[in-house]
Amino acid sequence: MDFLFQSILNGILAGCIYALFAMGLTLIYGVLNFVNFAHGELIMWGAYFLYFLMGKPFGFPLPIALIPALLLTILLGIGMDRFVFKPLRTANRLTLLIAALGLSFLLRNGAQFLWGAELRTYGFEIKRGLRILGISITLNQVAIILTSIVCIVFVYLLFHRTRLGKSMRAVSDNLELARVMGIDSKHAIQFAWVIASVLAGVGGILLALDTNLQPGMGLINLVKAFAATLLGGVGNIWGALLGGIVIGLAENLGVLVISPGYKDAIAFGIMVLMLLIRPSALLGRQE
Amino acid sequence: MTSILEVQNVYSGYGKIEVLHGVSIQADSGEIVCIIGPNGSGKSTLLKTIFGLIKPKRGVVLFSGRDISLKEPEEKVGMGIAYIPQGKNIFPSLTVRENLEMGGTPLHDSRVIEKALQDIFQRYPVLEKRMKMKAGSLSGGERQVLALARASMVQPKLMLLDEPSLGLAPKVIEEIYERINAINHAGVTFVIVEQNARKALKSAHRAYVLDLGINRLEDTGERLLNNEEVKRLYLGG
Ligand SMILES: Nc1ncnc2c1ncn2[C@@H]1O[C@H](COP(=O)(O)OP(=O)(O)O)[C@@H](O)[C@H]1O
Ligand SMILES: [Mg+2]
Repeated sequence: MDFLFQSILNGILAGCIYALFAMGLTLIYGVLNFVNFAHGELIMWGAYFLYFLMGKPFGFPLPIALIPALLLTILLGIGMDRFVFKPLRTANRLTLLIAALGLSFLLRNGAQFLWGAELRTYGFEIKRGLRILGISITLNQVAIILTSIVCIVFVYLLFHRTRLGKSMRAVSDNLELARVMGIDSKHAIQFAWVIASVLAGVGGILLALDTNLQPGMGLINLVKAFAATLLGGVGNIWGALLGGIVIGLAENLGVLVISPGYKDAIAFGIMVLMLLIRPSALLGRQE
Repeated sequence: MTSILEVQNVYSGYGKIEVLHGVSIQADSGEIVCIIGPNGSGKSTLLKTIFGLIKPKRGVVLFSGRDISLKEPEEKVGMGIAYIPQGKNIFPSLTVRENLEMGGTPLHDSRVIEKALQDIFQRYPVLEKRMKMKAGSLSGGERQVLALARASMVQPKLMLLDEPSLGLAPKVIEEIYERINAINHAGVTFVIVEQNARKALKSAHRAYVLDLGINRLEDTGERLLNNEEVKRLYLGG
């Protein structure tokens, strides 16, 4: 029984992080109508930016390094759009897809060049777990859940309480109609990149805190984010949140019946299944 | 009467495809002008060109005497021109209230937007009742009302409507045109494009028939309604 509760907790933990990735992915999909396959690299670079600022020569403590690390992630996201996707705004979906894949590859190799392919950690071991009702949870994991909740509440307030957030949803619904209303769609698109980058950066850092850093961490988590996005209905941010948690739970409950070695296959399976049901998702909304 | 909108000999289209081959229309301040014509004759293209979503290749568009041919839609909204496109003209995943707020974007100040919103709710109690609902859950008629109300948020001088009766039942069309007439009585000029034109011609002060991207006929709505050729060709007998 304890084992079941432990799996549920682990599932929610993983799900929170997947949700952060998926919300950003689906947000960009919503405003620009394409799947950013380089989103995983925002996750990975976000984590490495923090590693970079905490290491030599800076040696900043985590709370101080956090803000500049996220700012650098935002810069990377905005840069992606400015130099790769914006010039291709009117290109066809396949071109965008290939550009995103190429960018992902480039950024992954860039990280490997700078930091090597080996696993790294932020270097503090807070593995001392709390035990509540027979379930063990580390302080890191408590931080992961709290931070995710803060991010989700922040996104909720932004999208439903501010004019900029509402404009972003309007652009996501119908870009041309938004324009007809005098909504500054360029501004809204840029802001969507900021939010997506922050969510990716925060998620990447949380993931690295819980496990480790590695140049391939973005790619594998992109698959999960993409599966969550498909599950929640592409372009639907709250669907992505739910989809992330479902995938996290499915993985961690799945290992009760199949070998943990196949954990990643579960998200992959869900993704393939959803693509079979809704193949159009890969190439954007077909009107 | 002063002319609020003048479209003079406009050529326009998409890329290399020319759709309008020299179209001229004119609307006096306070008029309802209707443009009818068969599917594909360029009615929507004409409205898009007036609003600036497409730029005319030749000819000019004058608004209150000013040449606005090459201005961007965002600028035209600020000048008092509202445009309601054909078909998908609301944000389905936003609430009714949020849709109206989006219509108030050019007002900038949140308090001014809130004030405009309250005015709209007073004129459209239906929308106030539904304000927390997703706009996507509204009926076709309610969507059109929402689109009209949203365009009214900025108190435009000129409203361009593309097929406001599209897909609606006759009774609902009746209601939409009552709303349009009410807004018109408050002094707003309308240019309305319709394919299904009976109701529109009844409301219109003047009307144009457009066919294959050129002007065919121009007359009062009343007379076009009784014109044998129009009846046969455009009103389905
Ligand atoms: N975005 C577009 N790109 C290319 N051609 C278009 C586009 N929109 C409309 N057309 C063409 O322009 C012509 C006029 O279309 P439209 O203005 O929509 O007519 P109407 O509104 O009178 O039905 C049609 O032949 C249509 O195929
Ligand atoms: Mg049309």
